[in-house]
Amino acid sequence: MVNFTVDQIRGLMDKVANIRNMSVIAHVDHGKSTLTDSLVAKAGIISSAKAGETRFTDTRQDEQDRCITIKSTAISMYFELNEDQMEDIADKSNGNGFLINLIDSPGHVDFSSEVTAALRVTDGALVVVDTVSGVSVQTETVLRQALTELIKPVVMINKVDRALLELQLPQEDLYQTFCRVVENVNVSIATYQDENAMGNLLVSPELGTVAFGSGLHAWGFTLRQFATRYAKRMGSDRNKMMAKLWGDKFFNQATKKWSSKTTDATGKHSDRGFNMFVLDPIYKIFATTMNGRKDEALALVDKLDIVLTSEERDLVDKALLKVIMRKFLPAAEALMEMICIHLPSPVKAQAYRCGGLYEGPQDDECAMGIRKCDPSAPLMLYVSKMVPTSDKGRFYAFGRVFSGTVRSGQKVRIQGPNYVPGSKSDLFIKSIQRTILMMGRYIESIEDCPAGNIIGLVGVDQYLLKSGTLTTSETAHNLKVMKFSVSPVVQIAVDVKNQQDLPKLIEGLKRLSKSDPCVLCFTSESGEHIVAGAGELHLEICLKDLEEDHAQVPIKQSDPVVPYRETVQTVSSVAALSKSPNKHNRIHMTAEPLQDELTLLIEEGKITPRDEFKERARRLAEDFGWDVNDARKIWAFAPEGSNGSNLLVDMTKGVQYLNEIKDSCVSGLQGSCREGPCTEEEMRGCRFNIMDVTLHADSIHRGAGQIMPTMRRAIYGSMLLAKPGLQEPIYLVEIQCPENAMGGIYGVLTRRRGHVFEEAQRPGTPLYNIKAYLPVAESFGFTADLRSNTGGQAFPQSVFDHWQLMNGEANDPKGKLYETVKTVRKRKGLPEEVPGLDRYIDKL
Amino acid sequence: MRPIRPSSFSGEGVRDRQEVFEQLDPQHEKSGSGQRTMPAPILYAVTMKVVALVSGGKDSTYNMMKCVENGHEIVALAHAHPPEDAPQDELDSYLFQTVGSSAVSVIAQCMDLPIYLQAITGSAVTQTLDYEITKDDETEDLFALLCNVKHHHPDVEGVSVGAIFSSYQANRVQHVCDRLGLTMLAYLWHREQVGLLKEMVESGVDAIIIKVAAYGLGKDDLGNSLMQAMPKLISLSERHGIHACGEGGEFESYTLDCPLFKRRIVIDEVETVTHSDDPYSPVLYLKVKKLHVETK
Repeated sequence: MVNFTVDQIRGLMDKVANIRNMSVIAHVDHGKSTLTDSLVAKAGIISSAKAGETRFTDTRQDEQDRCITIKSTAISMYFELNEDQMEDIADKSNGNGFLINLIDSPGHVDFSSEVTAALRVTDGALVVVDTVSGVSVQTETVLRQALTELIKPVVMINKVDRALLELQLPQEDLYQTFCRVVENVNVSIATYQDENAMGNLLVSPELGTVAFGSGLHAWGFTLRQFATRYAKRMGSDRNKMMAKLWGDKFFNQATKKWSSKTTDATGKHSDRGFNMFVLDPIYKIFATTMNGRKDEALALVDKLDIVLTSEERDLVDKALLKVIMRKFLPAAEALMEMICIHLPSPVKAQAYRCGGLYEGPQDDECAMGIRKCDPSAPLMLYVSKMVPTSDKGRFYAFGRVFSGTVRSGQKVRIQGPNYVPGSKSDLFIKSIQRTILMMGRYIESIEDCPAGNIIGLVGVDQYLLKSGTLTTSETAHNLKVMKFSVSPVVQIAVDVKNQQDLPKLIEGLKRLSKSDPCVLCFTSESGEHIVAGAGELHLEICLKDLEEDHAQVPIKQSDPVVPYRETVQTVSSVAALSKSPNKHNRIHMTAEPLQDELTLLIEEGKITPRDEFKERARRLAEDFGWDVNDARKIWAFAPEGSNGSNLLVDMTKGVQYLNEIKDSCVSGLQGSCREGPCTEEEMRGCRFNIMDVTLHADSIHRGAGQIMPTMRRAIYGSMLLAKPGLQEPIYLVEIQCPENAMGGIYGVLTRRRGHVFEEAQRPGTPLYNIKAYLPVAESFGFTADLRSNTGGQAFPQSVFDHWQLMNGEANDPKGKLYETVKTVRKRKGLPEEVPGLDRYIDKL
Repeated sequence: MRPIRPSSFSGEGVRDRQEVFEQLDPQHEKSGSGQRTMPAPILYAVTMKVVALVSGGKDSTYNMMKCVENGHEIVALAHAHPPEDAPQDELDSYLFQTVGSSAVSVIAQCMDLPIYLQAITGSAVTQTLDYEITKDDETEDLFALLCNVKHHHPDVEGVSVGAIFSSYQANRVQHVCDRLGLTMLAYLWHREQVGLLKEMVESGVDAIIIKVAAYGLGKDDLGNSLMQAMPKLISLSERHGIHACGEGGEFESYTLDCPLFKRRIVIDEVETVTHSDDPYSPVLYLKVKKLHVETK
């Protein structure tokens, strides 16, 4: 820690206008961590010499070994702008020193829940895009996530050195490549931005919101650097100059005039401003150093006012190139400048983010505190994730103070995600032991922390599962729970090798579940301990953590399993009749499938049980052809709490006492929808119609104990009568590869029931982009298989995309699907055969 | 609910039905919108000779204890049982508990009282809450049974019945009683079930569960004594709203011993019968194959 001390930072924390909270987000392998290193090098936490080699934010051994980021890591940095740069900052600021809290996030899609957690506590995002591979799936995903959280993006086009050294792109081609990247990023931004809240967020180089460079070589620039340089030399205005350095602005060297055409009236050729003034010097440095023309290179260095030490002058080739570029265009300078100028301060950001963050009324004291980022308002702090400490089993709670000031020893209300204002559920009132600053591998104690800052807390981990709201106001509602873009679709059962270690495993599972925002740990009906993750890699990392850190006992693991969903494929052939255990009540029920679009709308939360029922009924009638009267009598959505897409509809006519049994019917539905009749997997997209009900005249004989099991049997019976089916989860796989590897990819995909639906060459590169659907069940070992079949040239990114109906009927013992059903039943310890219809329905 | 103390009516003779009723359940008029008022069980403090309708279950037994507690004298037992040629013990009758029927006469033996039996030949023809005389309805079997009792014991004035909440049952018993000029004695009427269950166990009713038919109850519960089953029943009633005393038909019981018994019953051999094989709330009952009586 050379450049700043904790006291200095604490001083800066009060100057909220000079704080920038930002995350670095990108597709995997586009160079986030490396780029972050060069920034950290500038802020002085590690020595400049090691920049580009250390991956400062990859704190874990496996991250270093695998060269991927797994956990997001925060660091605070300090940067001073010069007067010239201060001019461009639109909002009021307090001195020229800036505190930048940066969070480096993982790029692999399996860990995108970490990205969500990072975005929540930041206001701006540096989106890193690889020049060569361009905007990829994960780039779009994280951009979308950022924009829905109302995070302002700026872009860094990274790995420009590769374009020059490996692809040897000519200047104009490189310009076109840059253009395409900017365009693609803007397409995503335009789709997801909320213009009302934040204004236009489209990025563009001439505004200085796009930087170019190489994280590995630690050089980079925005047009602002060049504009400043040339404006000084030519004596023109910097901002006018910047505008001329991008787009179709051409400079005629002979006439020294700018025009918008490549040729002037005399037929003389003009050069594009960007190529001539920006790319040309860079190309020259590359050409001279890499081709052994060292003298020319050194001459150029002097001409550009770059000062090299005598040792540096002795270097050759790539080493010399790196030194020159780093001195010519230091990446940290350019990026820090871009971040400070273009990303919002917490004051500015919280004013528009408050609506999307706070669940309570927008005019209570907490909302006001958040909107003004007021350090003297009631405390509102969101804990977005838990970071393991060196002390086993304990965690730092990592989060952002949105309002008020958090102090060591302060008594706070800890509100979990299920807290209901005014109640005591999911609520603890405890003291914060210590507040700490988290900087990569190091932590520093700090007395207190005002609104607008990112902070670590000691001593609240036992009271929160994964995330939650901390507040001092008794009337405070929760800050909105984060919504993850990935779902845990891959499961694995774990068990201990030695039975006496079992308590340690259970404790370890609790810790694992705390340390990762997305992982799910639960015990199945048959008593297995299940760990569910977003993908194979995610699970692998989780299990490694579990074995080595959280439980520290030898662990056995099953083969990975995928969850299925049960559904129906047609309307029940006849109404299923079930009698209550006392035989005095009867329910007639039919099942039918919901339209796929409707199921999706329900799952996305666009049609919910909380909608106004007439409004909802009209929508169902207009868009999905429901009978309005039926649509008004939807009794329940199940399973509740998770946007369940199974509906219970009352279609009876004039049944006495029906309302009295509604609650029992709904409970029966909720229970059954979690476990379907064929495989005891969750149900999805089913509509259950209560056609008729006969009830015992005496209320005592139609209580919950009689109606709930009857509902369950009627539901199962009606499903078995409606061609029950299974849905399996499908990954969207994106693979980038050279043309010669495509054969191998097709082979592997075909063997695994996958199919390619899009294949396109990346313009300007020899790479192809393949998009395919692959059943999750077939995805185990897919990455390794793909590598071995393509000579290591193809690297897939898989993300859960949709549920797909499998062929066949789940209760047809002769069908192929029945094998799958039997496997699932066997694993769950159920009798292998699906119970017959006669177990669920009765004769009149 | 206010505990009912029939002694508080002492000396006042028959009250106006509605008045008595309001004392029992002040909320009744408001809550019973869909149901006609139940026939109020008339609670006498005058000593009567009483015939006890017994099913073998805990409620009918406990109500007998209550009758004795209130100074009445039980002179005979009466029981309706499935006909000899019935394919199985469980008739799913709307009115009678029929499992464990074969062992009911042993209870009379234990109490040294005569028992009058009647085969159930009718079925639930009238299924509404109220009852009108209907041919072939099982209520007519009850009528026949009580007629028979009255013939042998002309001095009988009261009928002990263990109904708690079932208006259906109470209405029918009341109907029959009215026709025969008898008084229905239902001391358990509208008692809060969890409290009642505890009270039964505390006052020495030793009964076992012989039939289960509700969500949450299964094979493991069969044969358990009330005391063993009580915690589970109470938790089910809290979580799922199941009636703790099994008044909605959740379970049936068979009494082995109570303070009124001079001897106690010991079951030697039972057979578990699956009545309907429902995977979620199977209906199962125990068929008593062999039992003996031992002195206390």
